[in-house]
Amino acid sequence: MRINDAIIGAVLLAFAIAMFAYARTLPAIPGQEYGAAVFPVLVAMGLAGCGVVLIASGFRHWEGAVAWSDWAQTHHAWVRLVVIFALILAYIVAAPALGFVPTSIAILLVFLLMMGVRWWIAAAVAVAATVLIQQTFVGLLRVPLPLGLLGP
Amino acid sequence: MSAIQTAFGLVFQPAVLVTIFLAALFGLVVGAIPGLTATMAIALLVPVTFFMDPVPAVGAMVTCSAMAIFAGDIPGTLLRIPGTPASAAYTDEAYMMTRNGEGEIALGANLLFSAIGGLFGTFVLILSAPALAEVALQFSSFEYFWMALLGLTCAVFIGTGTPVKGLVSLFIGLFVSTIGLNNPAGVPRFTFGNAELTGGVNFIAAMIGLFAVSEVFRFAISHSVQTVPQAVIGNLFRGWGRMMVQYWPQQLRGNVLGTIIGALPGAGADIAAWVSYAVSKKMSRTPEKFGKGHVEGIIESTSSNNAALAGAWVPALVFGIPGDSITAIVIGVLYLKNMNPGPTIFLNNPEYIYAVFIIFILANLVMLPLGWAAIKGARTILRIPREILMPCILMFCIVGAFAINNSAFGVAVMLVFGVLGFLMEENDIPVAPCILGIVLGPMLEENFVTSMIKSDGSYLAFFERPISGALGVATLLIWLAPVLLMALRSRKTAMPRQG
Repeated sequence: MRINDAIIGAVLLAFAIAMFAYARTLPAIPGQEYGAAVFPVLVAMGLAGCGVVLIASGFRHWEGAVAWSDWAQTHHAWVRLVVIFALILAYIVAAPALGFVPTSIAILLVFLLMMGVRWWIAAAVAVAATVLIQQTFVGLLRVPLPLGLLGP
Repeated sequence: MSAIQTAFGLVFQPAVLVTIFLAALFGLVVGAIPGLTATMAIALLVPVTFFMDPVPAVGAMVTCSAMAIFAGDIPGTLLRIPGTPASAAYTDEAYMMTRNGEGEIALGANLLFSAIGGLFGTFVLILSAPALAEVALQFSSFEYFWMALLGLTCAVFIGTGTPVKGLVSLFIGLFVSTIGLNNPAGVPRFTFGNAELTGGVNFIAAMIGLFAVSEVFRFAISHSVQTVPQAVIGNLFRGWGRMMVQYWPQQLRGNVLGTIIGALPGAGADIAAWVSYAVSKKMSRTPEKFGKGHVEGIIESTSSNNAALAGAWVPALVFGIPGDSITAIVIGVLYLKNMNPGPTIFLNNPEYIYAVFIIFILANLVMLPLGWAAIKGARTILRIPREILMPCILMFCIVGAFAINNSAFGVAVMLVFGVLGFLMEENDIPVAPCILGIVLGPMLEENFVTSMIKSDGSYLAFFERPISGALGVATLLIWLAPVLLMALRSRKTAMPRQG
């Protein structure tokens, strides 16, 4: 999925302008010329410069806004991308309430089945990987992974 | 003397040695699996090392990266798929050797010369780092500003195909580094009232996203068929003596060039291997043999990429300027461990520095037996189904990002950077400058603002001290070179276009 350079450039330019505007609002240190705003302003200007260059080069080689590569033409690949994205989101939302172990098993199971792994292998791997990670992080490294349903 | 003894005491403890051993196995497996890079191995390792003492943490990262760079040669030789980008330069050559029935010679050469290259780089590191640290002690904010800028410049202009896209990546990284309270003025920036953002964007979570989660996304859209090679049955040690004698100039040249390129801020093992392969072909007495299964170029470039790994530690330890994306990650971790890199660590905690040296030597020695085992077990490693491995890696990433602050915010940061990294790579924007920007951003800003305040806003002050002036001129030259080249090229191509 190659987005035309001109579009990337335009997005960067817009972002740089917003960043510049925001950085100008940062308070100055009294009696000091170089405060919190200097560096972000410079970075915004650099980013804007890159944006302009990309816009120029993008228009020179314009072949439509987006050139779809092979994978992007199959909805299969898109579904997978969206599912993986949703799985990570699901962890953020669900792990505190459900706890690490059930969330992890569920996420692994969905991902493995989506990749076409046979269900009993998927189930075994999901449980084994979860136990291994849980043992490493909670047992060995003392990370308090969320207990959720399994908690007191 | 006592510092060295302390260092040996720090390294030769059962827990540290076991950690190094496990990290070595991990690096070998991750490096050998195509699609999982050495940088990703480090990214996955960091959340675990986060909870360790400095010495085992650094030891694990050193060993893991050395093993992963070597192991990348295994699938390159057997399947023509480089396991890590650093092996890509000579993959075709090594695969031709396999097709000619000389696979074990190619792998043997990879193993032997990787280890020797690593040791050579290590000795350069041992000899040069303390001496350079003496010089670095006299550095002021001006020199540090230029050093940081030079590192970032090299990353953009040497490490990438199109400088503009490298710059985009760098500026994104620099922007990310400005988020939060951590700036000379102590003003919250780009936080929009979010309490989690005041602490800044967590570097480890961002890195896991950029280097590992983006790879999981990419795996999901690829549908490559996994091929399994024949087992390697021949004698790996065949021809070691002959190769050492016959190709010593190539090997030495690879070692030296690799170390130098590695030490150059911003350029790492990948570039070292490409340059060395090209140099080897150019200097060879039989350049016509290259590309047809000739071991000469392999020896030179496989020495080079492992030498570069150690070379990259020179600027990392002495100045706190990463030589490549792996050392960028390491520097981030060293700061978290209060083992701030820079010349003062040589004065205050020399035992840590010696411990790093010892670990480097150990890692390259242990590479020989473990690498041998990995080559023998290559068939098994390459048979691990990717569709089972990737979901487990994703889960590991999530937990790793969570563990840093024990908050789901880290997971969110990881997700954002995973998507960003995926989109960037799809559009040929390299991710390495971004991570360098995140790590070096605060240093660049602090030294810039301090220098500007010291010099009362005069830019000339940046060139007044001798070292600072030289660094400044070098940096500006690298900036101007592509512009000059472009002007020359456009003058050359303008003429036929008119006709």
